[in-house]
Formats: sequence, structure tokens, C-alpha cells
Amino acid sequence: MNLSLADPFSLSQDYPEVFSHSLHYGHSSCVVFNRQGDLLASGRHDGTVVLFDVETGGLARIMRGHTRSVQSVSWSRDGRYLLSSSLDCKCILWDLEDGSRKRIIRFEAAVYYAELHPYNHNIFAAAIHEDHPWLLDISTDKTVRTKLSSLPWKATTSSDDEAQKTSKAAAQEAKALTLITLFDSTGQYLISATTRGWVNIIHVATHTTIFSSRLTKSAIVTARLSLSGRSLIFNSRDRILRTVHMPALTDEDVEDPSGILFEVEHTYQDLVNRLYWNHCDISPTGEYICASTYMNHDVYIWETNKGSLVKILEGPKEELGFVDWHPTRPMIVASGLETGRIYIWATNNPQRWSALAPDFQELEENVEYIEKEDEFDYKDRAEMTKARLDREDQEVDLIGMDDAPGGFREEEKRWTMPVLLDIEESSEDDDVKIVGPTAAASQKKKKAGGNAGAAESKGKKRKAGD
Amino acid sequence: MDSLDTNGRLSPPFKRQRTVSPSPPPNGISRFGNSASSEPASGPTSPPIQSLSNSLSPRPNSGPNYRLKHTLTGHKGGVSSVKFSPDGKWIASASADKTLRVWDAKTGELEQIFEAHTAGISDVAWSPDSKTLATGSDDKTIRLWELKSGRMIRILKGHHNYVYCVNFNPQGNMIVSGSYDEAVRVWDIRSGNCQKTLPAHQDPVAAVDFIRDGTMIVSCSHDKLIRIWDTNTGQCLKTLVEEELPQVSCVRFSPNGKYILASTLDSSIRLWDYLRDGGKVLKTYLGHVNVKYSIFSAFSRDGRYIFSGSEDKAIYVWDVQTKEVLQILRDHEDVVLGVSAHPTENLLVTCGLDGTVKIWADEQ
Repeated sequence: MNLSLADPFSLSQDYPEVFSHSLHYGHSSCVVFNRQGDLLASGRHDGTVVLFDVETGGLARIMRGHTRSVQSVSWSRDGRYLLSSSLDCKCILWDLEDGSRKRIIRFEAAVYYAELHPYNHNIFAAAIHEDHPWLLDISTDKTVRTKLSSLPWKATTSSDDEAQKTSKAAAQEAKALTLITLFDSTGQYLISATTRGWVNIIHVATHTTIFSSRLTKSAIVTARLSLSGRSLIFNSRDRILRTVHMPALTDEDVEDPSGILFEVEHTYQDLVNRLYWNHCDISPTGEYICASTYMNHDVYIWETNKGSLVKILEGPKEELGFVDWHPTRPMIVASGLETGRIYIWATNNPQRWSALAPDFQELEENVEYIEKEDEFDYKDRAEMTKARLDREDQEVDLIGMDDAPGGFREEEKRWTMPVLLDIEESSEDDDVKIVGPTAAASQKKKKAGGNAGAAESKGKKRKAGD
Repeated sequence: MDSLDTNGRLSPPFKRQRTVSPSPPPNGISRFGNSASSEPASGPTSPPIQSLSNSLSPRPNSGPNYRLKHTLTGHKGGVSSVKFSPDGKWIASASADKTLRVWDAKTGELEQIFEAHTAGISDVAWSPDSKTLATGSDDKTIRLWELKSGRMIRILKGHHNYVYCVNFNPQGNMIVSGSYDEAVRVWDIRSGNCQKTLPAHQDPVAAVDFIRDGTMIVSCSHDKLIRIWDTNTGQCLKTLVEEELPQVSCVRFSPNGKYILASTLDSSIRLWDYLRDGGKVLKTYLGHVNVKYSIFSAFSRDGRYIFSGSEDKAIYVWDVQTKEVLQILRDHEDVVLGVSAHPTENLLVTCGLDGTVKIWADEQ
């Protein structure tokens, strides 16, 4: 609701520009915002999942269950459930109402990536080590596992001749492994990316691959879908990022996939340094993409309209892994590979001085003041007050949320996590700190406050002595 | 010694006392010819019998008809603030006697006494889940209390002077507080750390409130300003001033967040449209007496009435639209400081310098 008063200049800034602060609680291996953007989930190398409160920068929850590094975390749409996957061959579905493990699903190999269905937290897809992807349904006590194919879809009309010619290639392709599985925004289709550079679209209801497109010849290691569901980004081992416009799939496309248009819109690479990209993400609207770089400390931001580089974010002194774009604000988080610290970039909004003193105007140059005709006339105050009170006849609605132009619409009813005040204390607690200009000031003040407290207690003691 | 003197809210030590003579209560308190036109009359009902609590009832057909239900005694000093819990089950009252008491909202029975503050308490706030309470005190601290266990769970130190007002954000992860040290502070309640210090005002901060989605904070002060802050950036978004605006003693957002209700020490309560360029006063509510104390105001849950305490020992009920005084509730024996409306029922709770808490029910 602060939009109506915010500075239009700061609102027009839609990508982060300055390093804001960092969070540290253990060694973070992956970071993902929830859909509302008020919580940040961080999977750690020791298998713990930690939730940070984005607004305060403080710890919101600590959840232990994995024994090895967490590879991915995925939020349910309402933010109540969280799915984590780990190298310990397990996926855990957490219920954040009480932080309990709602379900533990074991696999035979390490889980690289697991994502919840956008509308049903009892369905998820997992990409696991040296295996084909799985679709899992845990709505009943018995877990229903369905193995999906990593093989690209082939038009069935090819003649025998062609089939023979391609058999060798097919054999090679049979070795293709899926590293990433994403749901599209409707949850009806899965987008999987393989080590052979193929992107397969799988119809969730029938578990069949309906369409494939080969974007590259090297392995695709990261795939992300924008919050709008319209843009996809793929990061592959050939040092190139590719964005693809996600086609709106219909039932007819399932019957006849030839109409599906799935083409690379833009490619992004660093031609000079030939940088590898560690990880990437798209802004919620798909207007910008960001990527962390291999053997480098920066996060690159491109705009996707023309494909031009707009910003290189600096700050940390270590290589960055996971990056994630905030769902509503111009804010990016990235996890450091070396220390596991979480770095946050945001925008810098200068204070508008006119907000502090509304009767002052900010002028470009001197203006000659012209006195109004009645400016110093005598006015009867009582009469003026009465006239003003009489003018106050407007109807006011203190409850309704609908009409106003400031975007006062009733927010969709959503689940909010209970605020825990007794997060388990541990020795690592001292590690939680916000490093940034504002935090430094507050810490200084805290120190001062602490001293005051000490003095106070001293005074009390003296009293007790008396 | 009068314990009230130690309490910031009850007797501000260095505030300029304004002797604005309060405009006399309109003679036509019981004129509801106008109000009846805007609300459907529910047929001719017999005028209600004058209640035990000699409350001056205007006998409206559809207006409020609050009657005293319970008087809760026990506080050994003036009660500065009283609040219904968001779930409607409890009443919390904070007093100059350094205690916080929680009462059952239905029966009025004392449920719990929280003691730890070393000076009088000026304000109390409920967390949105009704499980935690926050109190701001003249001992310069804010303390968090757990209702279930009765324990004190956090002590927030940082203010350099009396803590005057305190409020939770709707998400329940932050607290905002205002103090005699002229600053507004935002606290992370999980860690108990002060997250932001807003150099807000040049005089004691009398009230702070979060908007319904928590993105903005409004604060007011004896320096006659009302300021609106962005919670996230900590920057001032807007300042509301009016020519010759007197000291502002209470401020709050309307339930939908479109307006701000501000009480000032010239015995008036103004409803601001703060979105309008420069801010505009839409309504002025007059009739009560408020020249010295920070007296709370409240909206009824249906947004039709405004309640406020008064220094003439009464509680005033206004019609939001017509600005008419619909009812004046009398039973307190001293200045009425706090009012709070029940979130789901037509109940009102009030407190005052006489050390009592009173529950009123609308018997329509």
C-alpha cells in the first residue's frame, strides 16, 4: 500500500543497483524467495534448511532433517509448504505451520533438483543423479512414483531408412540424463532439460513427452521459469545463457505438437572473458535476467528486450553460486560458494526532502515570489473554522478496499507463517548479522544501549546494597 | 507520591500545556433526525431506560446504545492503555502501577498479571496471533510477554527515554515504538534487535501505527507533525501539517488504510485523507475535552463510529459521516485514556486515570 506515496523515480528502477547487506547463518548452498517475497529459504551444506525473514533480515526458522548438502528448495504457491532435495538421496516436504517434516521421500541416488507442482503441494517432480526424472504423488500414504523419459520426442512418421540412420544417435541420446525438471505455470506440463542439450515438454497427466527441442549440444545445467510463466532461461555448459518464450500450451498441442513454437529468443555470453555462468534467474516479469559467474565475484544483469547488459553487481569477495530474483521488488540474492554467506543487492532510494516538510518546495533555481492578493488580509478565524467544518460533508468509507486508484484491492487470502520467538539457540547464533551501512549504525547504537543497560543494572545493585 | 507522575502518558513532564478552551458539547447531542435519515430506522422502539451508568443515551433508533457491562478493578494506578486481543478473547490493560493485566473479555475475570517493568507502562499491543503482548514503559524498555506461559520472553533496549507507544505489524514479525527520545524504532521481534531508528520528530512521539499491509508506519508527536514512513526503507514518505495544528497525541490508520485518524490537544479528532496532495482533513470530530493527555481513539469494527476517551471523564461516540456525537458514556471517575473496540462484537473497553477498566456492550 506504500505504492501510492512512493517516489515514482525509485519505482521506475526495476533492477537492483547497489549491494545492500549480507546474511550469514551456516554455509548456504541454495537460496529461494517464496512467492510473497517475505521469506527467503536457504538450503545449507550441512543439510539444514533455514528461513530468513526478508524484511528484518533475521532468522525465521531452522529445520533439520537432511544429512548432506541441500541441492534445491521449492515453495508451494501459498508459501505453507517447502520441498527440499539433498545429496543424502531424500526429499523432505516441510509444513511451515509448525516446521514439521510432513513427508520424507527416499530415492536411490542423490537428488539434484525437486520442484513442487504450482497448485498441488502433494505432487512434485525430481531430477536425480544418473537417472531419469520422477514424478511423485504423495497425496495418499503410499507414494506413487512415475518414471518419466529423458529421451526427446520423435515424430513417428520417419521411414525405416531414417530410423536406421538415426539409431546410432538414438543410442547416444539414450544416455541423456535429466538435470532439471520444472513445472510450467499451469502445472499441466513439465519442462525438463537434459545433459544432451534437449528440452522436453512432458504432459503431466499422461506422463508422455509431447515436444522436444534441442537448444544446444552441451549439457543444460540450470533452467528457470519467470514468475509470470512466460519466459524460460537455460544455462548450459557452452557458456551461453538462452532465453525462450514459453508457449501457451493447449490440448490441441498435445495431439499435434507441430504447432508449438519453442525457439531461442536471445543468447547471452561474455565474448571477451568467455565466462561460465554458475546459475541464473529471470526477473518476475521476464524483463531482466541475472547470472552469477564462474571464478568471478560478480552478478551480471541483462535486459531481455534487446539482450543488452545493463549492470554488473559487485560487492562480495568470493565466487557466487545460486542467484534468485525477488518476486516483487528489485532485489537479487546470491549465495557465496566459499563462505556460504548470502549477499543481497537492492536499490538505493534517497530521501525526498519535500516529504519531511510539505510546505517547502524543491526548486531548480530562484523564483521571484509574488504575493497573493489576499495573503495578509484579516480573516475571522472562527468564521473560517466554521466554513471549513461545513465543507466536511464528503462520505468516507473506512472499511472498503475496492475503489481507490492507489491499488487498494483486497489481497488474495494467503497463509502466513506463525512467528516463532523461540528459534533454537545455538552457538552459530552470533553469525547472524546484517552487514551494511544501516546495520553498522544500529549495531553501534546497540552497543550504546547495552552500556546503558549495564549502568542501569549497576544502579539497581547499588540500590539493593542500600 | 502520585504514581501517575512517573508515567509519561499520564503526565507529560515538559509538554506545553495548552489552555484552548474546548468547544462546548453541541446542545443537540440527542438530535438524530439527520443520522436516522442515513440509516434505516428499525421501527419505533421504546426509548431505552436510563442505564445504571447514568450514561447519557441519545435514544437513537439505529445508533449505538452502549451500556456498562463490567468494571474491572485491580490496578493500583491509572490505566494508560487497554486493548482487545485480535481474536477477541482477552483484554490487556497497562498501568502506571508497572503491571500489565490480562482479563477475559467475556466474563471480565482477571487472567494474568505480568510484572517486571520497573516503571509505569504507557502502552500495550497484541501480536496479530493474540499470543504475544508488547509493552512500552517509562523504564525505557519494551518487553514482550507470552500470554500462555505468563513469561517475559524478550526485553528490547535501545530507547534513551520513556517508551510512549508501541505497535505490532500485521505480519507479527516487527514492532514499532515511539519514545520521549523523539525517535521511532522498528524492532525484529524474533531476535529482539532494533532494526531501524527513524529520527522522526523533535518532541516525544505520542503514537505509532502500521498500515494494514505493514508497508507503512504513521507516527505523530508533540512537535505537531504526523509523518508517514516506508517500513522497508525507513524513509519519510509524507508529512501532514496543518496551519496552527496543535500537538498531536494519537494517530492511527483507518481499517482499510486509506485514512488517518489523528487526535490533537485542541479537543478535536481529525480524519485525514493522507493520499491527497499535501493531505486533506475530511472530517473533524468535536465535543470532547482533550487538552492535556494522550487519549486513544478507536474505530468501530463496521467503520460507522469513532470512539474516544475524554478529559471530562466520559467516552464519546461519533458518527463517522455526520460527525455528530451519538452517545456519551459516563461511569469513569477520572480522565478516560484508552478505548478499544472488539474485533467481532459490539463491545467497547475503556480505561482511565481512575484505575479501572470498563467493558461496554452495545444493546441495540
